[in-house]
Amino acid sequence: MSEVVDGWVRRLKGKVRPIGEMTHWERMAAAFDRKATDLVPVAPELDYWQITYAGYSHQEIYNDVDKTTDACIRTWADLRTDAIWMYVDISHQIENFIPPERRPEHFLHRGDKDYLLFKPLARTIDEAIELYESRAYERYLEGSRPVTHYTPHMLQLLEFQEKMDRIVPVIVGVATPSNYAETIVEVQQFVRWTITEPKKVKRYLDLALEERLAALDFYAEFAGRNGCQFLCLFGGARTWGPKQLEQFGYADELFVQKAVKLFPYVFWHICGHNLPEAMRLLTQWEGIKAVQYDMPYYSQKLSWAEWCESVARLFAGKRCAMNSPTTQVACHGTPEDVRRMVREFLEATLPHTTAVVMPGCEIDSYSPVENVRAMIEEARRKPLS
Amino acid sequence: MDRQEKLKRLATAVLEMDLEGVGPLVEGCLAGGLSPIEILSQGLSAGMREVGEKFKQGEIFMPEVLVSCDVYYRGLEILRPLIRQAGGAACRGKLIIGTIHGDIHTVGKDVAVPVFQAAGYEVIDLGVDVPDAAFVQAIREHAPDIVGLGTYMTSTFMHTRETVRVIEQAGLRERVKIICGGPAVDASAARKMGADDASDDAWEAVAKLDRLVEELHAGRRS
Repeated sequence: MSEVVDGWVRRLKGKVRPIGEMTHWERMAAAFDRKATDLVPVAPELDYWQITYAGYSHQEIYNDVDKTTDACIRTWADLRTDAIWMYVDISHQIENFIPPERRPEHFLHRGDKDYLLFKPLARTIDEAIELYESRAYERYLEGSRPVTHYTPHMLQLLEFQEKMDRIVPVIVGVATPSNYAETIVEVQQFVRWTITEPKKVKRYLDLALEERLAALDFYAEFAGRNGCQFLCLFGGARTWGPKQLEQFGYADELFVQKAVKLFPYVFWHICGHNLPEAMRLLTQWEGIKAVQYDMPYYSQKLSWAEWCESVARLFAGKRCAMNSPTTQVACHGTPEDVRRMVREFLEATLPHTTAVVMPGCEIDSYSPVENVRAMIEEARRKPLS
Repeated sequence: MDRQEKLKRLATAVLEMDLEGVGPLVEGCLAGGLSPIEILSQGLSAGMREVGEKFKQGEIFMPEVLVSCDVYYRGLEILRPLIRQAGGAACRGKLIIGTIHGDIHTVGKDVAVPVFQAAGYEVIDLGVDVPDAAFVQAIREHAPDIVGLGTYMTSTFMHTRETVRVIEQAGLRERVKIICGGPAVDASAARKMGADDASDDAWEAVAKLDRLVEELHAGRRS
């Protein structure tokens, strides 16, 4: 039981005004199941942005779980998006790979509004393999931020979700094997090795997969048992080519196969310039209900509307499409730019499949509040027959 | 094998990511009497241009591009001292480049540097997570035409404003053009933050560099 959660439940339970005929939860679930919704759901990945929106600095919440949870709920109470995203920073994911005395050199804070800078853990593929083979992640787990910060924050938000009678879902984010494998060594090294050291990369990915599959058991026990149903799989492999997807995509596919058995509403996050082959693959992996996708690949010379329509056609009858505006436009554009992008996405998508409005990646912490509000308002305005 | 054939094979080695073969091929060109500058511009750099074409067409992808860059560098390492001895290659402009403060990603810069070098730019690479003061120091030391700010994420792109401010405060802004690069950049936002341009594509950026150098020199003349 958490005081910060109970405080918010006392303030909000039975008092939040419905914004449509469905609850936020029902709206998200229906979109994921590709059924009719009363309004187009809006569920931006608010990440660091919600911290400053709620009046905190990043450094202020870094070691304060209650304030982190407070920021997420406060922002939701104000904006009434259709989901609450957990706040996650990179230390929550991989601090348990690092001995305590070496952690300060790997995580550096930038400014009040900025993210946590992470320095890679291994310089060579052999070092990366050794890190997994020595099971560093188990040895250093106790007292690491996945245990002391990530899990308590997740449990607090799920407690809020349950005490509010599931009117709004909490999205729990989990990184996939490819994401871990790339993060630990830095993506530019990893993708080189897919060509120069393919056998070692396979070994490395197998080890990352083993650790991630075990992590899913943790998620089943701690997140699933406490009410989590919406799971975001943060995919890596964003700069892979078709050969790499074919050769090494198996690790993420096996991860998906287990995740979808444990959680009913699983979606995939693929940010950056999306390769058409990757998008096709995401329609083939069974059980994923939605895809949070981003921009067209460099060689695809498509307008925003054309890109969204091409994806919607690919997803028809298979996946709910999650996008718009881009993270960049949400940050650098005007409210009208944001509205136009959302409009184009919905007009291109809704004839083919269901949609959730949200950028393909997070809302950057520097994004103006009026842009975030414009995104929400534009989605809410869309008439659904 | 004639000269053209040797240069063609070298370009192909870059395109085909032949890390082991590039050294002997460069040595073979040198032994055959080709000048280091010829080998660089018509062999290695021609290969990099082909890499760019195929990347734009979606025939090769980032992993292949990065390894091709490594092949280019391996060949360049052999040629560099010889080019220096010969008095240097013709230079279209001088550029200092670094991943902006707070960002350690090099995936864009790793591609941009060899592409710019292959296009005839002298590039001084300041590395990653480069403090603003280091850009100032490098401008004073190297007198570049252009400062390239590499950013990978929207948050770090936003640091452009601060880097430009520090360069301005040092009284150096008029001496250089500033361009941002990386997948999250936006040209109009870059200009709003005080930079001159931005590009998310290293090959397209070459045309922008040419224009910026021309503008800079026109400004110096007037």
